[in-house]
Amino acid sequence: MPLEILLILVIGGIAGITLLLHLTGRSSQRVLTQGTARMDWRRHFPDDVVIDVTVSHDGHAALVRTETGTGLLWSLGADTVGRHLLDFDWIEHPNGFEFQFRDFSSPGVVVHLDELERRHWQHLMEPS
Amino acid sequence: MTDHVSFPDAVQWAVPFFIAAILAEFLWITIKGRGGRYETRDAVTSLIMGAGNIASGFVLGFIAYAFFMWLWQITPLNLGTSIPIIILCFVLDDLRYYWVHRFGHRIRWVWASHVNHHSSQHYNLTTALRQTWTYTFTFMMVVRAPLILLGFHPALVLFCGGLNLIYQFWIHTEAIGKMPRWFESVMNTPSHHRAHHGRNARYLDCNYAGVFIIWDKMFGTFVPEQEDDRVDYGLVHNIGTFNPLRVAFHEWVGMWRDATQPGLTLSQRLAYCFAPPGYSHDGSRDSSEQIKKKHLDRHPSDRGTPGFEQFDKNPPNTRAKRA
Ligand SMILES: [Zn+2]
Ligand SMILES: [Zn+2]
Repeated sequence: MPLEILLILVIGGIAGITLLLHLTGRSSQRVLTQGTARMDWRRHFPDDVVIDVTVSHDGHAALVRTETGTGLLWSLGADTVGRHLLDFDWIEHPNGFEFQFRDFSSPGVVVHLDELERRHWQHLMEPS
Repeated sequence: MTDHVSFPDAVQWAVPFFIAAILAEFLWITIKGRGGRYETRDAVTSLIMGAGNIASGFVLGFIAYAFFMWLWQITPLNLGTSIPIIILCFVLDDLRYYWVHRFGHRIRWVWASHVNHHSSQHYNLTTALRQTWTYTFTFMMVVRAPLILLGFHPALVLFCGGLNLIYQFWIHTEAIGKMPRWFESVMNTPSHHRAHHGRNARYLDCNYAGVFIIWDKMFGTFVPEQEDDRVDYGLVHNIGTFNPLRVAFHEWVGMWRDATQPGLTLSQRLAYCFAPPGYSHDGSRDSSEQIKKKHLDRHPSDRGTPGFEQFDKNPPNTRAKRA
């Protein structure tokens, strides 16, 4: 196949499919509740015993406390990703906290929190 | 060269068909309200990975090709390109695919390339195109050497490999439940391959087939999709990014960091590169065997069911009592 035709097909195909998916509402982020966040954590980490779950007000992140430590669950497109808060940094962000992981497959996420939540999360993350 | 053999690059010619089929699947899901899910960024990442795979073929493909042509120079055998030889080549190349794919899940060096095909939590036709950019670095082209030394022309072998990949495109869908029973028993199907993409303990390291599922049945890796254990797509440790560069290289970076950390012995460093994924020198990670074992501790009734056959139906303590 001539290279120009292949390029047009590939670029046109990707652009077209992207536009189609976006315009039909396939770009929305997953919104978590206490229940779904707990279920998703158990899906990612079946060994963990969850103590409690704190969902951020926009539903895009949750702080999950387990018997073996605290973890962060957040929306990634229509799904979620979870990480134990072990090898990480969290820094203040105008909209909440930015979590950074030393993990090339999961560099970090900004969690949106209001003032009240911010203090509460900070308290939850402090080692007791 | 006197014996010039040329076959079309089947994968490139299939691109229009790929696009049309994705549109058709999306339309089907939208109209029926079932049969799979699509998410914009996930799908775009998969498509970009597919485009990058074709591009990496342009850039790095010559390495494998030069190796194959060298083998072709030294072999005294030439089987030609008659129809029965093409069919035989297709079947044997599918056996080659089975083993490359099995190595891809059991040797971290090869997994570093293959992992990205499994990095989506979705399962639709775009997932089929989420292909590696780094296959050349796995050196898995050596698994094709016997075929060429037996007298199959490199162009024929590559053509069959292309057809194999095209076949595997349509099985990446939830829109098709089960195919007719005879078909399910011989061929790789959406149902069998869904199980392969599962991160459930039951489905780890199963159904490596490309076209014919018979290889899994022959070599003991076949696990049928279970109605009461819905496939959860993705990786045991799902990645938190849609960035194609991170998708393509994350396991190579992880392997490098693991193998170069201070204080390891040489054999530990090598194990981080070549042992099955999940190896760790301090036991902080789980291999697929350990994941299965832990699952059975939580769900003892799954003992001996498909995917857990290697674990005795009777837990070790009852076995000891009998002995
Ligand atoms: Zn695989
Ligand atoms: Zn696949």
